[in-house]
Amino acid sequence: MTSRTRFARFTAVTAVAAISAFGLAACSSGGSANSNGDAVEIEYLHRLPDGEGMTPVNEIVDRWNEENPDIQVKATKFDGAATDMILKLETDVKAGKASCLAQLGYSEVPQMFVKGLVEDVADEAAKYADDFSEGAYAMMTVGDAVVGLPQDTGPLVYYYNDTAFKELGLSVPATLEELGTHAATAAAAGKYAAAFTPDEALSWLSAQSAAAGDVWFGSTDDGWTVETEGPGSQKVAAFWQGLVDNKQTLVTERWGEGFTQALNDGALIGHVGAAWEAGFLLDSLDGTPAEGQWRVAQLPDFGAGAVTGPDGGSGVAVMKGCEHPAEAMKFNAWFNTQTDDLASQGLVIAANGTPETSEKMLRQFGGQDVLAELATASANLNPDFVYAPGFASLTKMNETASNVAGGSATVADIFTTAGTTALETLEDLGLPTNK
Amino acid sequence: MTMTTNALPESAPPERKPAAPPARPVNAKRKRRFGSQAATGWLFMAPFAILFIVVFVVPIGVSIRSALFAQKPAGDGLYGGGEIVDTFVGFDNFALALGSDVFWLGMGRVTLYALFQIPVMIVAALGLALLLDSFLVRRPTVFRLAFFLPYAIPGVIAAMMWLYLYTPEVSPFMQLLPEGTDLMGPGTVLLSMSNMTTWTYTGYNMLIFLAALQTVPRELYEAARLDGASGWQIAMKIKVPLVRSAALLAVLLSIIGTVQLFNEPVVMEAANPWMGKAYTPMMLTYNSMMGAISPSGTGPASAYSLLMAAIAGALAIVYALLQRRKGASA
Amino acid sequence: MSVDLVTVPKRPQKERRQKAPAADLPPKSVLPGPVARVAGIGALVVATLYFVAPVVWVMFAATKNNRDLSSTFGFWFADWNLVTNYESLMSWTQGLFWQWVGNSIFYSLTAGLIGTLFAVMAGYAIAKFDFPGKQIAVGVIMAGLLLPVALLTVPLYLEFQALGLVDTVWAIIIPSAVSPFGVFLAMVYAESSVPSELLEAARIDGAGETRIFFTIVLRLLAPAMVTIFLFVFVATWNNFLLPLLMVSSQELKPVTLGLFGMVSYFAPDKGAVMLGALLGVVPLILLFFTLQRYFQSGLAAGAVKG
Repeated sequence: MTSRTRFARFTAVTAVAAISAFGLAACSSGGSANSNGDAVEIEYLHRLPDGEGMTPVNEIVDRWNEENPDIQVKATKFDGAATDMILKLETDVKAGKASCLAQLGYSEVPQMFVKGLVEDVADEAAKYADDFSEGAYAMMTVGDAVVGLPQDTGPLVYYYNDTAFKELGLSVPATLEELGTHAATAAAAGKYAAAFTPDEALSWLSAQSAAAGDVWFGSTDDGWTVETEGPGSQKVAAFWQGLVDNKQTLVTERWGEGFTQALNDGALIGHVGAAWEAGFLLDSLDGTPAEGQWRVAQLPDFGAGAVTGPDGGSGVAVMKGCEHPAEAMKFNAWFNTQTDDLASQGLVIAANGTPETSEKMLRQFGGQDVLAELATASANLNPDFVYAPGFASLTKMNETASNVAGGSATVADIFTTAGTTALETLEDLGLPTNK
Repeated sequence: MTMTTNALPESAPPERKPAAPPARPVNAKRKRRFGSQAATGWLFMAPFAILFIVVFVVPIGVSIRSALFAQKPAGDGLYGGGEIVDTFVGFDNFALALGSDVFWLGMGRVTLYALFQIPVMIVAALGLALLLDSFLVRRPTVFRLAFFLPYAIPGVIAAMMWLYLYTPEVSPFMQLLPEGTDLMGPGTVLLSMSNMTTWTYTGYNMLIFLAALQTVPRELYEAARLDGASGWQIAMKIKVPLVRSAALLAVLLSIIGTVQLFNEPVVMEAANPWMGKAYTPMMLTYNSMMGAISPSGTGPASAYSLLMAAIAGALAIVYALLQRRKGASA
Repeated sequence: MSVDLVTVPKRPQKERRQKAPAADLPPKSVLPGPVARVAGIGALVVATLYFVAPVVWVMFAATKNNRDLSSTFGFWFADWNLVTNYESLMSWTQGLFWQWVGNSIFYSLTAGLIGTLFAVMAGYAIAKFDFPGKQIAVGVIMAGLLLPVALLTVPLYLEFQALGLVDTVWAIIIPSAVSPFGVFLAMVYAESSVPSELLEAARIDGAGETRIFFTIVLRLLAPAMVTIFLFVFVATWNNFLLPLLMVSSQELKPVTLGLFGMVSYFAPDKGAVMLGALLGVVPLILLFFTLQRYFQSGLAAGAVKG
C-alpha cells in the first residue's frame, strides 16, 4: 500500500509540474473548502434511486444540516452499478480521499474489510445498535469489528395474486411442499405460482438456503469453512428441480422482459422475491384490471420454521481515512432512522419501527399493510447466515443457473459451483481455509 | 499505383501545388537550421506530448507496475489484518494470464467474432459506398446521413436498444422470425453482437470509402465506359483498388476494437447469465478488477490488459505487413 | 474538374460551392442501366431500413409507458405517454437533464477543440520537422492506439486524484482531448498536403514558425481537422466510464452518465430513458448535419495512408 502511494505521488508530482506549466492547475477545486469555520464536513456517497415521487436524499440531508450547524453533510449520488461504486471507493481510499460514509451491500462488507477499505467503529456503533434490527446490524459486523450501520434489508417473501389464487382454490402456501402442489395446480391451469430466475441465482438461492436453515460460511481455528450443499440447499435444489422438470415454474431472467410480460398477461401469479421488490414489482399492472389483486405473505416454511434468508440489502459504512468517525456515525444513525423518507425510496428499512405504507402500495396491494408484513419478514431473517469475503465472485452461480433451463445443469450443480468458487476465492484472497 | 508511406494523395498532383520557390542551396541551410528545427519540432509536439504523458504514459506505467504486484491481506486472521499489502510477485500475474484457459477461450471467441464481423462490415460498407458513388440516386446525402446515424447513438443506449430488439416478448422484429428463434443462445449470441457493431460502424466506414472514391476524376470512368467496360467492371477494376488503403486502416482499427470487445457482451451478459463474467478478454479483465472473478485485484487485471494490448499490437503489425507485401506484389 | 476536388485541401472554399450541383448531374455515359438501377436502389433502401428502423423504434418507445412497451406493436403508437415520460425524465434527473446535455456539449466541444489543435500541431511537427526522439515519439503514440483505454481509466483516476483534478471539468476534458488517432491522421495529412517548399518560401520571407503554422498550415489541414474534431467530439460524448469515476457533482455530469443512472436501478421508466436518449442525441445529429460535408473530405485523408 505504501509503495503504491509513493509511486502515485511521484508520478503525480511530475504530472503536476507538467500541467502547471500549462496553466491548468489553477482551475482545480479541492472541494475541501470549509465555509463554516469550525464545522466538521462529512461526505456521503450513495446510490439510492432519488426517483419520481421519492423524498430526495439531498432534502433529507438539508434537514440535518439545518439542525446541526457543526456537522455539515454533503451527499453525492453515484450513477453507476454497485460494483462500479466499489471500484471508485477502493481507488479513493488508496488516494486517501474517500468520502467518509458510503453505501455498501451487505455481501460486500467482509471483502471491503479484508481490503482495508472500511473503519472499525464498533464503539460508536454500539451506541445506536438498539435502534436497528438485530439481524441487519449483524450484517455490518465483521468478526469483532463493526463498520457502520444498516440501512435496508431484503428478506425473501412470497408475492401472489390473491384473485387468481382464489379462482384456483389455492391458499397462501405455508410450507415449501404446499408451494410445490400449488405450482402443480396452477400449471394445470396454464399459470405459474413461481418463477425460477437464473440472473438472480447468487443472492436468491443463497437466501433460500439460509431460509431452509443452512449457514454457508463458518470457521474453525484453521480458517474458513464453506458448506453450500447442506440439507437446506439440497431441499431447495430438489424443489426447484422438480418444478423445472415438470414445467411448473416460469423460467426467465428476473430483469428481462419475459418476467414483466408474464406478469402483465396474468401467467405469473406467484413469485418468491426479495422484500424490496414490493416497491416496483406491480408498477406495470397500474391501470389494468389486475391492479390491486396481489398480496405479499411470509415465505413458506422451508423447513426451518418461520425463518427467511437475506436477498440483498445494504448499510452505510465508515470508510478508511475518515477524519471524524464519531460525527459521521451520529449522522449515519440519524439518517437511517428517517424511516418514512427512506421508505419513500423503496427501501425496507433496517431501523426499528414500521413506516406508514404508501398510497401507491396500498393501491397496488389491495389495501394490505405491506410494510408491516415486510417488517415481520425482516425480523425473521436467519441470524446465523453471514457472508465471507469474496462473495461477489459467486456470480458464477448465475452462469450455472442459466444452464438449468436448457437441461445441461441441475439446480444442485448451482450449489456445487457456489462451494468450489467460494473456496477458490478465499484461497486466492490469501485467507486461511479449512478444506 | 504504387503507394509508399509518404505517398502524395492522388488528388494533389504536383501541378496543383503553388509555384515552388526557385532552387536555393537548401542543404547548407538545413544543416545550420537543424538545431532550430529540433527546437521548433518539439515546441509543436510539446502540448500533445505533455497531455499524452499525463493521460497515457503515467497510467501505463502504473499498470505495468501493478501487474508486478499482488494484493494480499496483512494478517492471517479470518478477515486478514484489516488491510491489504502490495506484495511483489514478479511475473506471476503474467504467468497467470498466459496460462488462463478462460482468457484464451475469450480470445477464441473474439477471434471467431472478428473473422465474421470485420469482413461483413467492410464489404457492406464498401458495397454501399460503391452504390452511392454510382449516380443511382440524385441525393446521396440523405442516404449518407441515414447510414451514419447509428454512429451518433451512444454505445450504452445502442446496446440497450438492441437488447430490446432481441427479446422475443417485446421485439417487433422477432414476430417475423420462426417461433422459438433464440437470438441470444450459445449458438447465436456472437452473431447478434456482431450485428450490433456492424450497425454502429458500417456507416462510418462507408464514409471513409466514399471519400476515397470521390477523389477519382469522373473522366476516368467515362473513358472506361467508352472502352466498353461495364459498371461492375469499373467498380471492381478501378474503384475497389483505390480504397484498398482505406480498407486497411478500417480493418486495423476494427481488429484493435474487437480485441477490446466489451460494451456489447456486458449488456448481453446481464440478460443472459450463461455467458459468464469472462465471455471476452476485456470482460475478464474488468471483472477481475471488480472482484467478480477470482483471482481478483489490479495485479491480474493489469496483466490481462497488457497481454491484450500486446496481442492487438501483434495482430495489427502482422496484418499491416501482409497487406503491404500484397500491395507491393500487385 | 468537379467533385473530385473534394479532397484537395488547398481549395476548401471552392469545393463547397461546386460540389452540390455537380453530384446531381452525372455524365450520361456513366449512368447505370435500368436493371442495375432498380437492384441498386433496392439495396440502398434495404440498408436505410436496417440503419434507421431501430432509431424509429426508439422514437415510438419514447411515447409509451412500460406496459405498452412490452405489449403493443413496436412501430406504432399506443397510449400517448410522451408528456408523462418527459415529466418522469425531468423528475428522475432532478430537472438537470438539459444542464447535462449542455455539459456534454461543453465537454465535447472543448475536448474537440483542444484535442484537434494539439493533434494537428503534433502531426505537423512529426511530418515536417526533424527532431531527436521523433521515431520513439511516433512509436509510443501509435502504441497508445492499441491499449484498451477503458482499463487506463482507473490508474488515470488515481493520478487525477493526486493532482486534485477529480470532480472538475478538466478531469473529463484533459483525458478526452488526447487522441493518438488524431495525431496519426494529422501526420498523414500533413505529409501529403503541406508542401515543404511552401514552408521554406514563407521562412525566407521572414515569417516566424508560429505565424506559418497559424496562417498557412492550419488552413491546409482544415479537412483533417474537421475529421479529428468530430472523432474526439463523438468519443467524448459517448464516454461513460471516465465521467463515472471522475465526476460526482450533479452539476458536472454529462448526459450519458445521467441516463445510465436512471437505468441502473430496478424497474426503470423505460419510455423516459428512451426519450432522454433521443433528446440527448439531437445535438450530435445537428452537428453531423452541419459538418458532414467537411467531415467526409477530411476522412479521405485517412484513406490515403497505405
